[in-house]
Amino acid sequence: MSEIKGKVLKHSEQTRTMHWIHLICFIILGLTGIGFYFDITSIDNLFGGSANASNVHVWTGVVFTLGPLIYVLFNFEKFAKFIDTITTFTKDDFGWLKTMGGYVPFIKAEHIPPQDKYNAGQKILGLLVIIGCILMIVTGFPMWLLRDTMPAILVWLCWKVHFWTAVILILAILGHFFLAAIHPKSRVEFASMMIDGYVDAEYTSHHNAKWFAQLKKAE
Amino acid sequence: MNIFVERGGITRRQFFKGTGIIAATAVFAGILGKIGIDIFKASDKYIEKRIAGLYTLDERMTIRKSHENPEIIQIYKEFLSPGEVKPLTEKSHHLLHTKYGSEIPELIKELEAHRHHAA
Amino acid sequence: MSTVVTKEIIHVTDRCKSCDHCTSVCPTGAIKGRLGEKHYIDHKKCVNCGQCLINCPFGAIVDMSMAEQVKKALADPSKVVVVQTAPAVRVALGEEFGLEPGANVKGKMFAALRRLGFDKVYDTEFAADLTIMEEGTELIHRIFAHVGVPGYEKSGPLPQFTSCCPAWIKYAEDRYPKILPHISSAKSPQQMFGAVAKTYAAQKLNVNPADMYVVSIMPCTAKKYECQREEMIASGFQDVDAVLTTRELAQMIKDAGINFLSLPDEKADRLIGSSTGAATIFGVTGGVMEAALRTAYEILSGQSLGNVEFKTVRGRKPIREATVNIPIKELGKTVPVNVCIVSGLKYVNEVIEDVLAGRSKYHFIEVMNCPGGCINGGGQPIRRDTY
Repeated sequence: MSEIKGKVLKHSEQTRTMHWIHLICFIILGLTGIGFYFDITSIDNLFGGSANASNVHVWTGVVFTLGPLIYVLFNFEKFAKFIDTITTFTKDDFGWLKTMGGYVPFIKAEHIPPQDKYNAGQKILGLLVIIGCILMIVTGFPMWLLRDTMPAILVWLCWKVHFWTAVILILAILGHFFLAAIHPKSRVEFASMMIDGYVDAEYTSHHNAKWFAQLKKAE
Repeated sequence: MNIFVERGGITRRQFFKGTGIIAATAVFAGILGKIGIDIFKASDKYIEKRIAGLYTLDERMTIRKSHENPEIIQIYKEFLSPGEVKPLTEKSHHLLHTKYGSEIPELIKELEAHRHHAA
Repeated sequence: MSTVVTKEIIHVTDRCKSCDHCTSVCPTGAIKGRLGEKHYIDHKKCVNCGQCLINCPFGAIVDMSMAEQVKKALADPSKVVVVQTAPAVRVALGEEFGLEPGANVKGKMFAALRRLGFDKVYDTEFAADLTIMEEGTELIHRIFAHVGVPGYEKSGPLPQFTSCCPAWIKYAEDRYPKILPHISSAKSPQQMFGAVAKTYAAQKLNVNPADMYVVSIMPCTAKKYECQREEMIASGFQDVDAVLTTRELAQMIKDAGINFLSLPDEKADRLIGSSTGAATIFGVTGGVMEAALRTAYEILSGQSLGNVEFKTVRGRKPIREATVNIPIKELGKTVPVNVCIVSGLKYVNEVIEDVLAGRSKYHFIEVMNCPGGCINGGGQPIRRDTY
């Protein structure tokens, strides 16, 4: 067993709040969206009929947009660091991707390179979520507010982009949920985002060795 | 117990990346908006082209006025107003004119009476 | 033989994605349903124009089809099947075969109709000329009555509205019954053609009108409603038996395996098939007005028009107006005739309100339901780039 004792504050209160808001919105948006894309009346009825469900969908969309926007404005430093981390890919990240971080059973992973605050997989997820959300926003709002003025082709285009982005996002988020909450190797991180923000220093030194080294140096 | 916390403050590189991505998003949205407006402007061009098509056909016609159509003159002279070209005769009222709204039931009765009479 | 199928022409299918785009296109507010709800059509309000159909992003709106009846009639050797084609069809049909919008396929269209088995291939444009004769003379009479020429007291009131657009007629009947005396009593070209085909043409061709089957190719879905109107039996039979849209004709040509683009250019049959440029522009907003002016001017003034083009009535604006000074021979003075063109039924309300309130300065008002005129009708090829 390792010697490192103590805890690491991985996610601040504001970050966690934003994550919660986004999570709840995402579930509502996904549910209502699936409901009216596939004509599942039982889902629509959950929100009080199809017209109400779409009302819920658009207004949840507003919160879904404003939440991260306000967060970024008030936490620019955290945001900038986050962006820096997820857009920096070194050979350690590619090494992680080659072995898939040891998460995939049939890929042998004897040595996994040290990782930043977020491993390469999480970086890709972060980028996917940011690009995906931007696409959802730029197609979603016109379908709601400009549906009268837009030509049919644009309504159609928005619809298609909105749908396929949603498919990709939902799949990505399902994977994210599995690794962060269910997978025995990584589920200890669940609490850091969903509850108090802390992770074991011991765990961090393994999973995010490069970041932990920085934190230690700063001590 | 040891608590590890990230230090505040960001590097220049982090600052530029953070502002950069916000700017990039704004530019991206602007480009999409521009494309949208272009598509909007082009979206009814087909109407103009079809209109131009009909006006071109009109220009190429040798006869461009209805009352000069020889078959029109013929149908009046032989059928609608025998011997002359005279619109609004009784025959043309019967075949070529109609009534609207509440006057229709009366018109149907007239037309049916005419049919029985003709038979 | 009557081919009444249903007078409810336009339907929203299950493919509706509830995007709510169509409600903004509908000129009469006949489409029910909020964003997120499946939409449906209130057929009491619907004028069958099909604008929702050609503008649905998901192709979820359809029109009732009479193609099967037409195929049956074509296959029936005892029927003489007569076809008429509206002006707007010939500049749009080519789009279904890869040509640009506006490409003139008039000759190929007549050739294709012959190859589909139609016995007589005529032209609605002939009936459009006939419409101008009747409607133009009616306008002249109304103007005479208005300026006090004796002998015309029984003519209807001014302004006179055009009557070619079946969507506009149904709208006026549903919403503004008081305006009906202002609408020209002349039938639309389609219905004039049907009435003339089963009387005059049947006589000339020595065909029993009972055996004659009149089909029209229209850029319009409302024409399917119009041909089924109960009073359209002046010939003693249903005057027009069936209506096919431009889209349906294209489909029939494709189904028959005809190589449309390699067809020779042919002409319409004589008798009720020849036309003029005035009839051709019926398919454009302002066209009926321009055609009427060409004839009314010459008849009223007794002079020949040098330039037949009235450019002031052309354009795409939803409401346009112009004044044409016509020297009237019988009065010995020049009368300014004020005309107005409405393109898009949404915009007609204010014009009607003015007329009903006695504020209108117009003599003649053309109303077309579809923005741009019949060339943008609900039966035309559906374009992905529609607005």
